[in-house]
Amino acid sequence: MKGSDLLQFSLDNLRRTRLRTFLTTLGVIIGIGALVAMVSFGTGMQRNITEAFTANDLFTTIRVLPVRMDIEQVMAGNLDGAMSGMQKRTRALNDTAIALIAAMPEVAVVFPEITFPVKIRFGGQETSTTLRSVPVAMGGYTPYDRMGWGGFFSSDSAAEVILSYGLLSRLKLTLDGEDEQARTDSSRVWRRVKADSLIGAEVEVITSVLDLGRMMSGGLAAAGQPSFTEHVTRLRVAGIRPRPHAFSNEQVQGGIVVPLLTGKRMPRFAFNNMWSLLSRGGRPTGSYEALYVRLNHLQDLPAIRKRLQELNFSVFALADQLEEIKRGFLMVDTALGAVGTIALVVAALGIINTMVMSILERTREIGVMKAVGASERQIRTIFFFEAGCIGLMGGMLGVLLGWLVSRLANWIANLWTLRQGGGVGGDIEFFYLPPWLIGGAILFAVGVSLAAGYYPATRAARVNPVEALRHD
Amino acid sequence: MSALVEAIDLHKHYQKGKAEVAALRGVSFAVEAGEFISLVGRSGSGKSTLLNIIGGLDTPSSGELRVGGRNLAAMDRELLARHRRTTVGMIFQSFNLIPSRTALENVALPMIFAGMERPVRSRRAAELLDLVGLDQRHTHKPAELSGGEAQRVAIARALANDPAILLADEPTGNLDSHTAAGILELLARLNQERALTILMVTHDQPSAERLSDRLLHMLDGGIIGEERGGRRA
Repeated sequence: MKGSDLLQFSLDNLRRTRLRTFLTTLGVIIGIGALVAMVSFGTGMQRNITEAFTANDLFTTIRVLPVRMDIEQVMAGNLDGAMSGMQKRTRALNDTAIALIAAMPEVAVVFPEITFPVKIRFGGQETSTTLRSVPVAMGGYTPYDRMGWGGFFSSDSAAEVILSYGLLSRLKLTLDGEDEQARTDSSRVWRRVKADSLIGAEVEVITSVLDLGRMMSGGLAAAGQPSFTEHVTRLRVAGIRPRPHAFSNEQVQGGIVVPLLTGKRMPRFAFNNMWSLLSRGGRPTGSYEALYVRLNHLQDLPAIRKRLQELNFSVFALADQLEEIKRGFLMVDTALGAVGTIALVVAALGIINTMVMSILERTREIGVMKAVGASERQIRTIFFFEAGCIGLMGGMLGVLLGWLVSRLANWIANLWTLRQGGGVGGDIEFFYLPPWLIGGAILFAVGVSLAAGYYPATRAARVNPVEALRHD
Repeated sequence: MSALVEAIDLHKHYQKGKAEVAALRGVSFAVEAGEFISLVGRSGSGKSTLLNIIGGLDTPSSGELRVGGRNLAAMDRELLARHRRTTVGMIFQSFNLIPSRTALENVALPMIFAGMERPVRSRRAAELLDLVGLDQRHTHKPAELSGGEAQRVAIARALANDPAILLADEPTGNLDSHTAAGILELLARLNQERALTILMVTHDQPSAERLSDRLLHMLDGGIIGEERGGRRA
């Protein structure tokens, strides 16, 4: 018996009971649709996080901290151990330490963390952001190797600044040729500018300095104002960072970036975190809050971390968390997949029910087929094909449904994030439907349908022709 | 020359609830190739059971049954399917056509299971329909056919894979006498012209006597007598 004839048989049978076939297939469509939507959400989130990590260059970067506490010991409830760790002499994060780390061959760049809050004034608009100082050497590494417009700094002490894309909208600027979805308010102050016209423009960076003199003279109480004086630094725009990835973080990448020495020289009162405020007194002069160590290769990370720890540095590497995060995602994926699978199990029961019904109806026909020479294997194959066809159609349409649902959900979610997030956002891909998921979902649908068809098909094959043909 | 069908002490028991019913109690007989045999007897005498066993739809509880030299009692289900497909053709009182398929498709059905190519099937099915006198009815569904026409389609279907034996289970039971005569005439013609061996269960004793070589009388699961029919070989 030819495969094409078998298929024809199955299709004829399905066509004859069109409504029932449709309803049964609909069950599979919904099951697979749910599965695909769920898993593509999990996959999408995983991809977004991984891409964000990569975009923010978090995997090859180690942060060396002055923290004297062993976090793991604290988490484990071992306070004594944590305290003894605290008392352990830790190495100061000064220029000597930088030179020491820079000498390691696996290290590409090492630079101190000089990050503090600033205000930006440009074109009559003012906004607060974070300033980050980065050496020229980082120009070759993510995320600084790619500028949206303009270029990187010319030197470590140039009076230059690089703006982030998100900052533009905070300064009420829209770029020519870019869509205007960032404009969420309808105020008239927005200005449309050519990106190139911003390069070389002068930006005022305002830092606050604690005015000790005014504080002493009782100005704080009298004027009811904080004793800060503003210090203005004028910098030229060297470049503008490209439109950020959906999940990249302005805090991590810096609202504005200035050359390392330029940032270091800016007068400021750095109170961007509690640690710096609290540890300021105890910290030896000339030491930094943290060091960034950029490695050449990810695989060097364990070795470098070990060596830094041996040198009494406290080390934090996000790459360590990656395995943890991956494990977490595996669990999320499994949970999401399980929900979809439940829907598919219900669909499978539908297939069994439909086919058992159809076999009862077609008992006489099966008897006839056996009487004219159909073997049990042929009968079983016909019913298997029927189940397979339901699975294949349900699988393909289910993937389509899952995709449509994910598109719709993505659209709604983006509307929401756009409203919440103000500037950036609105183009986040929450769902990811890779080819393996499409193929896997269809195969899964066919597999489940065949499994569901096994009992009915076997039952059909075992129909006793004498009883089936016994005249009514 | 060995017989085409040879039954030796065939027994068949059914389990009906708790009681065991004996449908056949030691049936022995032989059929030569080309013979037209009628099985007559009252209802429940085991005629249909015997026919189903020879047709490979049922299996004997004990005894030996050789068809074309092969012992059916020793065949597994796969071999029995092959036997039904190639060695025998069956027709029934209630025709047993597939309602959703046309006359042509019904006739082509056994050839599908035999693995014939579609064009070959269609051509042969058309020839067979012409042979049984239904050259105008190829594309009709069973519901659009008269009883006689439906039985002719069933006969064409039974001949599809060129069997050695045609097994007919009360083929005229549902037909009026005029139509029945036509069907019997067709069977007689097939027996004559194609040397087709025919084994027919019937209640119509006068016709059986007129057309058959031999009549086997059955009662209570056994053959109780044999008489010669009017057919000249």
